[in-house]
Parts: sequence; C-alpha cells; structure tokens
Amino acid sequence: MALKGFKRKFKPLEILSEVETEAIHAASIDILKETGVKFESKWALDFFKKNDCIVNKDNNIVKFPEGLVEECIRKAPSVYRVKAREEKYDEVYCKDTVYFQDAPAMNIIDLESYNTRTPTKSEYIEYVKVLDALDTVHNLSAYPYFGVSGVPPIMAMSELMAIKFKYTSKFHQSPYAEDNEIFSIKMAKAAGIEIMGNISQSAPLTWFDSAVKSARRFIEAGFPVVQCSGSTFGATAPATIAGAVAKTNAEHMSMIVLVQLINPGQRILLWDLDFPQNMKTGSPAFGQIGASISCAIFNQMWRYYRIPVGNATVGFVNSKIPDFQGAYERTIGTLISALTGCSLIQLHGCVMGELSGHPVQAVLDDDIAGMVGRFIQGEPVNDDTLAVDLIREVGQIPGHYLGKKHTLEWWKKEQFIPRAADRTSNYNDWFKENKKTSLDLAKERTKKILETHQPLILDEEKSEKIDKILEEAREYYKKREML
Amino acid sequence: MNDKLPLNEVVEKLSNEPLDLLKKSLITYDHELAKDSINKIIYDKTDPNIALEVITSTMRLIGDAFAIEEIFLPELFAAADIMQSIMPIIEEEINKKGGNRKILGKVVLGTVSGDIHSIGKTMVGTLLSASGFKVYDLGIDVNSAKFMEAIRKYQPDILAMSALLTTTAYEQKNVINMLKKEGLRKKVKIIVGGGAVTEEFADSIGADGYESTAPGAATLAKKILGIKGD
Repeated sequence: MALKGFKRKFKPLEILSEVETEAIHAASIDILKETGVKFESKWALDFFKKNDCIVNKDNNIVKFPEGLVEECIRKAPSVYRVKAREEKYDEVYCKDTVYFQDAPAMNIIDLESYNTRTPTKSEYIEYVKVLDALDTVHNLSAYPYFGVSGVPPIMAMSELMAIKFKYTSKFHQSPYAEDNEIFSIKMAKAAGIEIMGNISQSAPLTWFDSAVKSARRFIEAGFPVVQCSGSTFGATAPATIAGAVAKTNAEHMSMIVLVQLINPGQRILLWDLDFPQNMKTGSPAFGQIGASISCAIFNQMWRYYRIPVGNATVGFVNSKIPDFQGAYERTIGTLISALTGCSLIQLHGCVMGELSGHPVQAVLDDDIAGMVGRFIQGEPVNDDTLAVDLIREVGQIPGHYLGKKHTLEWWKKEQFIPRAADRTSNYNDWFKENKKTSLDLAKERTKKILETHQPLILDEEKSEKIDKILEEAREYYKKREML
Repeated sequence: MNDKLPLNEVVEKLSNEPLDLLKKSLITYDHELAKDSINKIIYDKTDPNIALEVITSTMRLIGDAFAIEEIFLPELFAAADIMQSIMPIIEEEINKKGGNRKILGKVVLGTVSGDIHSIGKTMVGTLLSASGFKVYDLGIDVNSAKFMEAIRKYQPDILAMSALLTTTAYEQKNVINMLKKEGLRKKVKIIVGGGAVTEEFADSIGADGYESTAPGAATLAKKILGIKGD
C-alpha cells in the first residue's frame, strides 16, 4: 500500500559547508565531554555511570566519552516505520519523505472577536475530526489543544488522548507529564496501535526525571520516542544560531546515549523547537527567520548523523490572527523546513504560537502544506512528461492541448489546487462570489468537513477498554490527591 | 438514472447498450468508444434524434459536473471535442430521414485585430458548439472588415469577440462602430470577453453581453437570445 507523505525528489538545500558541519559536530562533542549535561534522575545517573560516562553526583552532571556518543548515534535507525490504526496512515520516517502534523495550542480563538478561551470537549472532538479529514495532516501532535473545559488539568492529557484514539485512525503522538504517559501507553495497547512518546529537554543542558521516566516507559512499551528541544537564542542558548544548534544537538545526543543504551536500535525522532528570543518581551520570537535558520542547520546536521528530524517551530507564529503576517511566517518556515531535509513539520492549526488555535487555520494550512509538498515532489522528466509527440501533434495555433488524452491524464497530477484560496479569475467574478477571502473559503470548507467527514471511529470494545483506562487514571490521581 | 450522481458513479450504472455506451464515451472522454457506439446506433437503425438527445443530456450532465468542480476545463473540453467529432455523423443521419438538427443560433467568433490569443476564443467556440450553436470561428487577429464580411455572409444571431490585452480591447469598440456605420449593428447581438474586458468596459462600448469565462459564454448566448433552459 502506498503510504502518505510528500517524497522529496531532489537533494535537500544545504546552508553549511562540510567544514562547518564538522565544526558544529566537534562543538557538540566538546560540550558533552567538557561541560556535560545535567540529569535530574538518580536512575539515569546510575545508568550512565555503569556505561562508562563520567558522573558527578554532587551536581548531577554527566560527561560523555566521544566514542560512546558516536556509537549510540550510529545505533539509532535512519529509516523506520510507525503503525497507525489504519494501515494507509502508517509512516516511514526516512531522509526523503516529509510528513505534516498539527501545531498544538492552549486555547481556541474566536475568529470574529479574536478572544481566546479553553475549548469545550465537543470543540476538541471537532478539531480532531477536521485534522483527520485533511489530506496533508499525516499524523496528529500530542494534543492539539492542551486542555478542555470541564476536565481537570491533571486528567486533560489522558482524556484528550482518549478522544484521539477514538476519533482518528491516523498515527499520533503522546504528551508526558505527571505519569500520564502510563495511561497513554495502556490506551494505545488497548487500541492495538503505536504512538510516539514525547520527551522534552530543559535548556540549557538539562533533562529532568519525568523525561527520563517517560522515555523508559515508551521504550519498554516498544514505541518510538520523540525528543524535543526548547531553547531561545540569547536566553537559554547562545545568541548565535551555530552555537545554539551545537548546544541543542548536545542535549539531544545525551538522551540518544541513554535511549540507545537501554534499547539499541530504538526508533527516535528529534524535534527542533528553538527560537530567537524576543528581546523586548522575553517570549520566543515566533515566526522570525532565525527559527528557520536554526531548523535548516539542525536538519542538515541530523542528515549527517542519519537520524530523522522534525521541525516544531513552523506552525508557531507571532501574528494573533489568520492574516498576512501569519501566512508569510508559516509559509517561509514550511518551505525552508521542507527544502532542508526535515521529515516532520508541525504546521496546521496554531494561530498564534502555542496560545491559540482553530480548525479553520488548519484548513488554511492544508493549502500551504499542499503547495510546499507539491514543490518538493519536483517534476519527473521522461518521454511521457516531455510529450514531444504530443507537441508535434498539436503544432502551432490554432492547435491546443485542452481535452487531449495527455492533458486529462496529467494535469491533476501536475497541479496542486488550493482548496481554500480565491480562484476566481477577475474582480467581476470575485464580486459575484461575495468578495470571499481565503479565510471565508476556509470557514466554508471547515463547515463542510464537519458536516460530511466520517472518521473511522474506534470499535466499541476497544473504546470501552479506553474508558476503563481513563477510570483507572482518575483513581491513580485521586490516590495521589491530584484530583 | 439519477443524474445527480458523481460522473464516475453514473458510468458504473450504464449498460453495454449502444446509447449507454455513447453516454459513457462522453463522460470518459473516449473517442474510440464514441465512434464505435455511433456506428452501432446507425447499424441498429436507432432514431438519430434519440442519440442526439442522449448527447445533449449528457453534455448538460457534464456541464453540471463542471459547475460544481467535479471536473475542470480539460475534461469539459474533451467531452465537447468528442461531441463535435460525432455531431456531423448524427446530423447526416437526421438529414437522411428528412429532418434537420435544431440549432440554437449562429455565432460568428474571433479574437480582434492586433491580438493573437487563441485558446480562450477556441474554448468559447467549442463550448458554444457543444451547447447547440453553429459557430463560425474566424480565428485570431481578425480586423473589422473581416468581421463585416462574415456577418454579411453567415447572418449570425451573435457576434462574439475576444481580447486578452488592454491594448486590443478597444478594437472591440472599433468593430461595433463599424457595424453601426455599415447598418449591421441592429441585426446581430454582440457579446465580448477576454482577460482585458470587464462588464463596465463591455457596457461602455455598447456590447449586449459580457462573460468572463468560456463555459459561461454559452449560458450568456442563450440568455441574450431569450432561449430558456440550461
């Protein structure tokens, strides 16, 4: 079965020379050997000590021998498959296929008033349905909203994972916090599918126990792990992007050592979620080109290491509404990530960086992903596409190509037709169509999806098992007086 | 037959009878099948008017599919092209039986002088033909004198002019002025279109109708001749 995703036909864009690549690698190795990485996990410290790392239990800093780091990088697979509930949504992470997923957000935004608020459960389900319907959303993030109204925060992640298990047959990721990954894993097993478990660095150069525990749990379950960075340049990383990437890579490498020592060949994906710092507000400078430069360097470096990477910065932009700024910020980011060797791009649905999202934005982003995806698929050059015989047959004016068998066979393969873009050919027609903007058209398409799309709902028996696991989670947190 | 079905589902429900195969040939853009089914229809001595009705209703179905973006211009054009290729055969059969194919009207068509853009005008011509008009396509870079000559010769109901360039759009006005001067203006309705033409411009030069798209031209032609129905 042909899998989804956009196959990049040409060599990725490289912005570093070979010498520069080697220099960043050497810097990362130096950081690991000389500065070290803090692991706030007794288990991890003991484990590293047993595996020939230099561990200082007074400050919890681990220093890594170069050979061990390189050996562990080599053990990580460069190509692997992940299983979705429906086989057609299985994914093969490798160097040349680009997948897209949603970019999560805290709140839903009202597209008239631009006020944001916690979404309701039914709004969350609607969002998942829209993501399930969009062709260019190949898998779902760990959320896509961080919480819903009426669900206690401690249960939010488990409740939201349960909705995703039930309402989409696409592959998706799981968050981790306060042991909720225990229940994500149980639900995935009950549903008979794989999930990808998130763990996050705490910059600079620190991993907390919760991330280590989560990694171990996902590894034990046999699931792939996605490691996420999270630096801002000039605050939790050097202001220079080269140094920031060297540091981020060192953070990733330290976890790769842990993960590959636990389970040689463990499937991993590395997220880049690093931004310039907004030096006025202290926030990440969402949408700035520095994030894309970081992604480009990160992508090139990890192609060098042969480990698949994702770019989580792309969908997080600084515009507060779906407007021109938001569109150029996300489009430039998407194009650069796709061109520079990224395997997974987090794009759809987030309106303003992590704070607001909306399914209508995901529908708008579907067109960006489709256009960029079409571009990286390039153009086949062969007798059929060169069409010399046809050109001879048609000849000069009044000859034409409309209606020719070749046109009928090829035009839809060649063109990507945006589905929420104004495609009227002049102002008269546009006036007749009530002057609709892309936002109007995206709203219409979203409404139609919600009226017509039928996700493959998880079967009743498995749904009941998931509900029982949710009950188990509630009991778990009640016992810990967290609920 | 439920003609509201998507075209692929319409095809699935068709039989292997010649009239159904004729319909299928238009929906699947299959020239060979169109010729074979017409030959079989003639061989079976089926009334050619019934075949004509199948073609007309199928083209309406295809037009509906185009309107809802189930198909696009290449497919619409391919179907129209097939229709044009088989219509002479059908017409000949109707004539043999002493009848005449009813045409909706005659149209003289051309891209105006100084403008060499052909494809939009050609699309209009093909789709007008597919809708039941008799079209006299004068080609591109057609000057006023040639338009006058064709109007006198063919006595069309409609003169359709195309101009893609802002610099050539005014040539449409020159043609209309020449028609007035020659006393022909009241004998023919004028419709204009092309990339450089707007509704306001069409009004300003005294055209009777304007349409921005090729598929819309057939609807406009029927409208200004007072022909009801699709």
